[in-house]
Amino acid sequence: MRPGARPAGSRRISVIHALAVVGLLAGAAQVARADVASDQAAAILVFPKLRVDTKNVAGQGRVDTLIRVSNTSAQAISMRCFYADATPVCSNGTGSCLAPGACTGVCVPQWQETDFVVNITARQPIAWLASQGAAGCEESPVPGMPCFPLTTNGGRIGPNGQTNNGSRIPPAPEDPFIGELKCIAVDRNDVPVERNDLKGEVQITRVEVPQASGVDVETYNAIGIPSIPGTNNGDNTLILGGNVCAGGAKAGSICAAAADCPGGSCISAAEYSSCPNILILDHFFDGATDPISGETVTTDLTLVPCSEDFLNQAPLTTPVQFLVFNEFEQRFSTSRRITCFQEFRISDIDTHTPTKSIFSAAVNGTLTGQTRMRGVADQDTGHGHTLLGVAEEFRGGRSSAAFNLHFTGSRPQSDFVYLP
Amino acid sequence: MGRTKGAIARGAVALLCVLIAGTSSLRADTTSERSSSILIFPKVMAITDGIHPTVDTVIQISNTSNSMVYAHCVYLNGAPLDPRFPPGAQNPPQCQEVDFTIFLTKQQPTHWVVSTGRRVEPSPTCNLNFSACDGAGIDPGAIPPMGDYFTGELRCVEVDSSGAPINGNHLKGEATIVVPDGDASKYNAVGLMGLNTGASSNNSDSTLCVGGGLSGDCPTGAEYNACPQTLILNQYAADASNPVIDELGGPNSAVRTELTLVPCTQDFENQVPGRGIVQFLIINEFEQLFSTSTTVTCWGNLDLSSRLYASFNAIFNEDFLGSRFAQTRMTPADPTQSGFVGVAEEFHVVPPGSPNFTRAAANLHGEGQRPSGDIIRLQGGF
Repeated sequence: MRPGARPAGSRRISVIHALAVVGLLAGAAQVARADVASDQAAAILVFPKLRVDTKNVAGQGRVDTLIRVSNTSAQAISMRCFYADATPVCSNGTGSCLAPGACTGVCVPQWQETDFVVNITARQPIAWLASQGAAGCEESPVPGMPCFPLTTNGGRIGPNGQTNNGSRIPPAPEDPFIGELKCIAVDRNDVPVERNDLKGEVQITRVEVPQASGVDVETYNAIGIPSIPGTNNGDNTLILGGNVCAGGAKAGSICAAAADCPGGSCISAAEYSSCPNILILDHFFDGATDPISGETVTTDLTLVPCSEDFLNQAPLTTPVQFLVFNEFEQRFSTSRRITCFQEFRISDIDTHTPTKSIFSAAVNGTLTGQTRMRGVADQDTGHGHTLLGVAEEFRGGRSSAAFNLHFTGSRPQSDFVYLP
Repeated sequence: MGRTKGAIARGAVALLCVLIAGTSSLRADTTSERSSSILIFPKVMAITDGIHPTVDTVIQISNTSNSMVYAHCVYLNGAPLDPRFPPGAQNPPQCQEVDFTIFLTKQQPTHWVVSTGRRVEPSPTCNLNFSACDGAGIDPGAIPPMGDYFTGELRCVEVDSSGAPINGNHLKGEATIVVPDGDASKYNAVGLMGLNTGASSNNSDSTLCVGGGLSGDCPTGAEYNACPQTLILNQYAADASNPVIDELGGPNSAVRTELTLVPCTQDFENQVPGRGIVQFLIINEFEQLFSTSTTVTCWGNLDLSSRLYASFNAIFNEDFLGSRFAQTRMTPADPTQSGFVGVAEEFHVVPPGSPNFTRAAANLHGEGQRPSGDIIRLQGGF
């Protein structure tokens, strides 16, 4: 026996322990295969669409968005949130790009992030208006607006001494505004934590002008991306799903199975669950007549990428493939490149003449359809190309209803969220 | 040697724990955005009697697979025996079921209006000049009409061509509640995914085992994911104002919330309605806790601002809660009772008491898994 060598029995013990550890890790990974979902609490919340237009610039009524978030656990939690401002800017400054015909130049998209931190006490529900943000109730500029009720300055603290101290939410960066919000569970030092305790909802309210009695409200759930227990290294690069080769000739490359890693193994690289491979939308085709109200139905779709680089302000472009089935099982497809944030009427995806779109009832010959959407993957190991989104259905251009998209599958590539 | 055996035992225990954890992880919660084998539409309304305000529902169901899919669907009417009067102990729900079967070709979407159903007949032509083409497409089978007064749930179970339940997980669905002026709210059907744990995952009998372990009714254990142990609703306190309307449209708006709960357990064979006591834990923005409970039989549509049941509803009111928003957690009173799934619908009224309102629906959040499981008993063979 060489000096320092361990006895055979000891090696066997180590191997057994290692197997147990690997098993535990594998088990943990399996347990952690909680999927991205809008009906379960999670560590990352994605609100794909926020809208503010309090002055009716777009001519669709005065609009604001109420954001609601709850802590579902009995321990206080913090979250770090990022507004992604995707409001297009008119190149010659002649008018808002959200107002039809107001901009005589070119509408240039922008992607500007603004971030903030919120501390939420045990099981506390909080809310704020996108147009106004929020502060402690004692310093809230507009009486009656949502604010943080538990602050030492306000003289009111929670049952266990918890407060919302340190929380302040800025108003949306501009008005009119359109964009996305992403919130990440962190500790008091802004370090991402493995706590699947956040749930959220968005409520977009539109008040018709000039009659205040014309009001429309739509609601959707924030999409939750759960963390995977035992995997988060606490840095500012959040890894969503994906596998890499460990060891062997292809170490570090993306893999779907062990066969992709000769001489090595294919292991999970994820800190958070994978974003879905395919999004599925059931919808009325644009221009269809609602069989109950007789109103014309149209659908707006908002898509945002799972990968986001808030550190370098580098918007990502993803080709998206759309596969459309009507009620005759007839199939159409189209594609479109999407950068950072995209909101469009579905019959505008493939043409500028909506009645000739493959999303048109006139073209399909049926009222409803199923559309499957897939961001096209590439070999970029620094970004993924999966998407999240939400749909809104309009009747007669007045009444709307928002709803969450369905998901299916996952993919071997990771998505990344880079925090500043 | 003794240490080695001890280590082997510890390793084996660790691996056993992993296997157990892995097994339980298969029984994840219900889903509202993944294709499933059972779809539950908790709130389906078709009131066209001309006495009550008219409301109707469009059901959309899609096959997400590349194969033909069949589904056995059951409407359960939870309307009170005498719809002219409010529901209550003296006016219990009808709990009347009506069932039918649909089939969908590869990736086929379909839809129907609940009050009129869908007949099997030649498709109307839908083109540039005529878009009122309800019924166009491959008919999924005959779907019965549910007028004049239907308020209840729709449940669809994926089956094979012989009608035997299977764990295909190929169905997704949405419900859109629409009133004649076009105001609408929409939610995703709640899905229970069929488990695929082996050859005996689903014994294809008419007793569907939703979560839980081995039992006399479920000799092979769970066949479908468990219903959630806790449902979570973020809601406006009853009669609180919508701050956006306050800000942009004037004061004195009010929001009321209808919470629809249906028991996961239903016995359609013996016409025994699912029943359970729901415990409510309400947390306001000041982190103060309140609780209450109620019994849901068959189908429950709880108006959280109604004065009908003052002792139950007072706790949800803004005047009592002291904050505009609250988080409500709902659990069955004890593990032996039925679990629940549900949906919430908000009505934003401008000004309070006026007939002008707009509606918005949202799926509830779920947490945990029911330890004892639920059973759905379908109609057996004839």
